[in-house]
Amino acid sequence: MSSPAGGAELNRPGGLRGERHVAHGSRGASPIRLVALVGNPNSGKTTLFNALTGLRQRVGNYPGVTVERKEGRLRLGGGPEVTLLDLPGTYSLIPGSPDEQITTDILLGTADHTPLPDAVICVVDANHLERNLYLVSQIIDHRIPTVVALNMIDIAERSGIRIDVRSLARELGVPVLPTVASKSEGIEELTSAVAALPAANSPGNGWRLPAPVERETDELAGILEEALHISPPNARHEAMKLLTTESALLERMDRFAPEVIAHVKRDQDKLDFLGFDRHSVFVESRYDWIKSVCMQSVARKSSQERSLSDRIDAVITHRVWGVVIFLAMMALVFQAMFSWAQLPMDLIKQGFDWLGTRVAVAMPPGDLRDLIIHGGIAGVAAVVTFLPQILFLFFFLGLLEDTGYMARAAFIMGRVMSKVGLHGKSFIPLLGSFACAIPGIMATRTIGNPRDRLATMLVAPLVSCSARLPVYALMIAAVIPPLTIFGFISLPGVTMLSMYLLGLGMALFMAWIFKKTLLRGGPPSFIIELPPYTMPSLRSTLTLMWERAWLFLKRAGTIILGASILLWFLASYPKLDGGTPADRLNHSFVGFAGRMIEPAIRPLGFDWKIGIGLITSLIQREVFVSTMGTIYDVGSGEGEHGGLAERLRSSRDPLTGANSFTPLTGICIMVYYVLAMQCFSTVAVMRRETNGWKWPLFQVAYMTALAYGVTFIVFRAGTAMGIGGG
Amino acid sequence: MTTDAHMTLIDAPVGTFVRIRHLTSRPEISTRLRELGFCENAVVRCVMKGYGNIICEVCNTRVGLDSGLARRIQVSVSE
Repeated sequence: MSSPAGGAELNRPGGLRGERHVAHGSRGASPIRLVALVGNPNSGKTTLFNALTGLRQRVGNYPGVTVERKEGRLRLGGGPEVTLLDLPGTYSLIPGSPDEQITTDILLGTADHTPLPDAVICVVDANHLERNLYLVSQIIDHRIPTVVALNMIDIAERSGIRIDVRSLARELGVPVLPTVASKSEGIEELTSAVAALPAANSPGNGWRLPAPVERETDELAGILEEALHISPPNARHEAMKLLTTESALLERMDRFAPEVIAHVKRDQDKLDFLGFDRHSVFVESRYDWIKSVCMQSVARKSSQERSLSDRIDAVITHRVWGVVIFLAMMALVFQAMFSWAQLPMDLIKQGFDWLGTRVAVAMPPGDLRDLIIHGGIAGVAAVVTFLPQILFLFFFLGLLEDTGYMARAAFIMGRVMSKVGLHGKSFIPLLGSFACAIPGIMATRTIGNPRDRLATMLVAPLVSCSARLPVYALMIAAVIPPLTIFGFISLPGVTMLSMYLLGLGMALFMAWIFKKTLLRGGPPSFIIELPPYTMPSLRSTLTLMWERAWLFLKRAGTIILGASILLWFLASYPKLDGGTPADRLNHSFVGFAGRMIEPAIRPLGFDWKIGIGLITSLIQREVFVSTMGTIYDVGSGEGEHGGLAERLRSSRDPLTGANSFTPLTGICIMVYYVLAMQCFSTVAVMRRETNGWKWPLFQVAYMTALAYGVTFIVFRAGTAMGIGGG
Repeated sequence: MTTDAHMTLIDAPVGTFVRIRHLTSRPEISTRLRELGFCENAVVRCVMKGYGNIICEVCNTRVGLDSGLARRIQVSVSE
């Protein structure tokens, strides 16, 4: 039979007081406005968020994908719309990383930016009920009206897990609704249950501590409640945390008065004397209760068979095969970007060429026609042509995430990461940085240790993002011959892979340096959940591709178009009557700026035209390509048509007549772009994530120095070997 | 039945079930391990070892740990 939940604290005379009481006690007058969605990583939380709100959002399959604040609108039953807040996934309300801290602060009502939610939907993976109920029990402790969404119930049933939903609801003391978020099943029932929630949870069979521990915890909670003016559940939460805190750390906690700290120490001594392990008793007692709840509500068909995940893991994480498969996967991605993407790239290019020709035919010659053809179309075309390659990259990244392989890749790379002093989890932000450093830097929020997190953020932009792809692709097309080695490995593909490996290798090397110097610390501990293998969802992968394509096209249509037009103006004015196209460019504003910086970049083998590209691409890296498109289109004579790569290859120094764009120039440009921080957006995100300018400025400085130094060495070495000649 | 032979999780042969006896890692790491189900007396299955890491199954969930951490989890063979 049910007894009151939570042991003594719920029976304390006076009941609930403080901010939580105020919030929940007035449900009649203040209806539900804010609902929070909470759950363990991999519980299907993001999928449920999509099903509830209809908002498109990326669904990940490895811990830590939800690091941004995401909101949607949700209609509760037939009532008004409310805000649904998707909180970062967490295992517990004792936060171990910055994103878990966000969730904890919001659920404790201590976040500055977000009010305490009026209700919580706690998503639980029915296949891993025991582990998921740990968080549920903590949320129930905090008395926020809660509904449990028992998600992926279909998979659980197929694997022989039978859950008595009524019994589970009775034991927990909150409504439990089975859902299959991926098929939008159980959604209406779930929203109706949220709408019908009372102002506070009704107590179920709450967990209990051993009597002496309960007594000390309760007494300390009472003191904290008075001293800090916090609600009873928050006071109890704080008391449990303090009783497990090391005395050295207690000394440094200045938010508590000395007499409170002294009381905590006395309580700790008392529990130690009585023979309780303070560090484990709270977690163990909770799990003991969870086990009893599961005993009541869950029947499991025992199976001695090796699961499919077991059999796949035996190969995927094998000592030898694991590495072979990992390298083969990476090679496949790069080969595919070069072979499969070629046809759509050619089509896009032909499309823009056709458009340019039509405009040329339809409009009379003049500045406006030049602006549209050479400023607008040429600049945007140079960038948009690379859209198919970017789509392929995201297609593969999406598949790797959805299948559950990404977490295994992090596991395989764990040893390499620990060799350079990085956290095994750092692999996921670094892999994400192949797409874009911004989500990569944001994904470091899952790393608990601040030094490990900072080291990962500092090196993430060294990993080649998709914005560098157009630069590499143009340079490779211009200077690397399309040869095939051993009959199946293309030289352009190998060059591209080399650039990606250079970026990754340099990121690891710099991380090692930082961990040995600025961010010295002990070896990080690596704990990662490995989700079961699942069939990839085409819908979610296509959604990701669509989002990225849209983002890319939006940038091409705004920033890149704007930059191209501005650049066309700067490259065309002041006008020079007569002279060759090169003379006219030399006479323009752009020519002046390029000549100004030429002495600084000459040691790298770069001329003033490349210098202009380096300046304009500070906005974002792919602008380099559109700049080259504009400069070489403007600089070429009438009737000189052909691809940009071809124009670069055939460009001559007007004075010496020598080839001004040698294979070594192309390689040096690629090396410079691998290592340089040419991205304002990344700097802005670094500033936000590190709360200041110190680290982003340091990052810009070290990356620029690194890019300059390495490019200089490559240029000198290449010249010495005689590959710089035209 | 449980034997008394104490060892650490890294010594557990692949495929065997072991019972956790004691965690000796840093307090905040031990707390996280316990919250993930690696609490004292819990039964854990060693699934795979390699790359300086170990994969275990606890509470029906697979978790990857680095070997340094696995050495700080004392276990005994559980049958």
